[in-house]
Amino acid sequence: MVAGEIVAAARREGRRILCEDEAKEVLRRAGVPVVPCRLAASEDEAVALAEEMGYPVVLKVRSPLIVHKTEAGGVALDLRGEAEVRRAYRGILSRAAALDPRALVSVQPMAPPGREVIVGVTGDPHFGPVIMAGLGGVLAEILEDVSFRLLPVAREEAVRMLRSLRGYRLLAGYRGVPPADIEALADLLVKVSGLMEAHPEIGELDLNPVLVYERGLVVADARLVLAG
Amino acid sequence: MGQKAEVIARLFYPRAVAVIGVTASPERVGYNLLESIVSAGFKGRIYPVHPRLETLAGLPVYRSLEEVPGPVDLAVVGVNQLAALEVVEECGRKGVKGVVLVAGGFKETGPQGEALEKRLVEVARRYGMEVVGPNTLGLLNTHAGLNATFYPLGELPRGSASFITQSGGVGLAILQKARDEGLGIGKWVGVGNRSTLEPADYLEYLAQDESTSVIGLFLEGTEDAGRLARVAGKVARQKPVVVYKVGRSGRADFAALTHTGSMAGSYRMYRQIFGEQFGLLMVENTLAMVAACKALALAPRPAGNGVGVVTHTAGPSIVFLDEVAMGGGVFPAFAPETMEKIKGILGENPPVVLKNPLDAAGQGMQAATFGRLLEAVAQDPGVNLLAAIFCQHRHWRCPTPEILAVRERYGKPVVALYIAALDEVRPERDILQGRGVPVYLTPEEASWGATALIHYALRRGEGE
Repeated sequence: MVAGEIVAAARREGRRILCEDEAKEVLRRAGVPVVPCRLAASEDEAVALAEEMGYPVVLKVRSPLIVHKTEAGGVALDLRGEAEVRRAYRGILSRAAALDPRALVSVQPMAPPGREVIVGVTGDPHFGPVIMAGLGGVLAEILEDVSFRLLPVAREEAVRMLRSLRGYRLLAGYRGVPPADIEALADLLVKVSGLMEAHPEIGELDLNPVLVYERGLVVADARLVLAG
Repeated sequence: MGQKAEVIARLFYPRAVAVIGVTASPERVGYNLLESIVSAGFKGRIYPVHPRLETLAGLPVYRSLEEVPGPVDLAVVGVNQLAALEVVEECGRKGVKGVVLVAGGFKETGPQGEALEKRLVEVARRYGMEVVGPNTLGLLNTHAGLNATFYPLGELPRGSASFITQSGGVGLAILQKARDEGLGIGKWVGVGNRSTLEPADYLEYLAQDESTSVIGLFLEGTEDAGRLARVAGKVARQKPVVVYKVGRSGRADFAALTHTGSMAGSYRMYRQIFGEQFGLLMVENTLAMVAACKALALAPRPAGNGVGVVTHTAGPSIVFLDEVAMGGGVFPAFAPETMEKIKGILGENPPVVLKNPLDAAGQGMQAATFGRLLEAVAQDPGVNLLAAIFCQHRHWRCPTPEILAVRERYGKPVVALYIAALDEVRPERDILQGRGVPVYLTPEEASWGATALIHYALRRGEGE
């Protein structure tokens, strides 16, 4: 399914929020590396998917009604065997039941740790669609070290955008820590910019976290909201 | 020229102005609108309109706009918001090009005012008219002797710095400070509620206005910010744009579902998009706005960011260096030839440290010596811009002729910092500024001026 079809399907169901698997499919189609996210229709299927992907795995609740998965107790990380998967599966669904009895569970491989970055697009009331990049996790929230640009951004601007982060050295390397793949990160920003140009019906996009490695990167979680 | 820009040109250069809502009471807005226009020396036709008055300010008063004998380009409207719509409708029937509407009580007051403003825009659209405001002080153009505000300011110094301001009051602060600084004004407009004209529209007009050489923009915020940033970035290719955005402490209220949205901060977004992405010079206060515009209006652009400083007092040069370095300036070590020249002037072992900034202490207080040092530094290949820092003194004259000689002989821009009370140096300042050397009284303002020149010498960004 191409991005436009995924978006159209959500619209038909009267949804503005795309689920993680749908958002990641849109990104994958745009050439963005994502951690695969597959839906399990049953506990047994969750185990089968985990075995196929190889441990450790992550289980997450999958519901258009549950935007903040962690807060809803809908994320189980670093599951290392069948028993853990089964327990997590049941736990996630029982906690989700009150919010959405039709919630499903997705299974994904546990991505190796990397430098956490947030990339997003938001509809700003003054500027319209703006792209954002920032250092992830605690640094983003406490220091609010983020950089905004009006869309579209070309590659040179994407690099400048990253350089303007106060914590840029955390990406560029420091005290013997090798540099993260800044080229790949700039590529990601350009791809997200292109995706927004091709699909103006996308209102907001949140890739959080993006795990940046010494070579390459991967989007570990993603949210997509259609324009209202 | 675009359609809006053509109408805006007509509003800044009207052949005839009607003033609607005039009164005989000096405490009323209508009276002051007329006095402003008359006292600024407007040469076109002026038609005061009032249903009962016969004459005002020596001019015949017309009972209605319909009775005005000739065409009217600009109507300046002093009536309140409830009467405004009918007046604007009359303007439309008369074929008026645009209206300055000073009345408040529109969008800025809530849903009822918003509905009123929507109707206002509908009327204006129907007749193809533009509205400056509502909720504005109005507009000015010294090149047409036009003061279409309710602040009679007399004759303003004419010049090439033009301003677009989202606040009448801040706009006045800029205007009055510019006057004190000896900075000539070209055009000035308070955009008010931006009903039919956005700051970007005025900017597009000023970009191709030949009498404007630098544009200052004071912003509170606009839903048109994306277009404004793009237009400003493009305009800055032809002439410098200086942006002052208020709201450092503010947090914009985003009703966003995602984390990205919830972290958005409006001031930061303006700073990053206007400043970093589109390469515009951002300033943080009114003084810096005027200081920057003055340098850009008077001095040529330096060929690079190398700054050479000559002074007889260290502190101000340190403050200056600190600010300018933040804005991208560098203070290169002098070349060996320059050092030789300096030693030739000050002696082999003067009781000062020979470096850039060059603090010549006691010897630098002599205007002739100061001038020779400035000349030596001006010839240094790493120096693109000169700063002359001198504390005015009762018995030691300022190096004004020396600065002018260096400025003219070497062609490099010079920024002068004369530490003094304005009254003591006004004649010297006016001589220097008349010949392309901006003069400042405080090290901060001098640094903002120098930074502006360097910024537009180095400019990077999408509008490059």
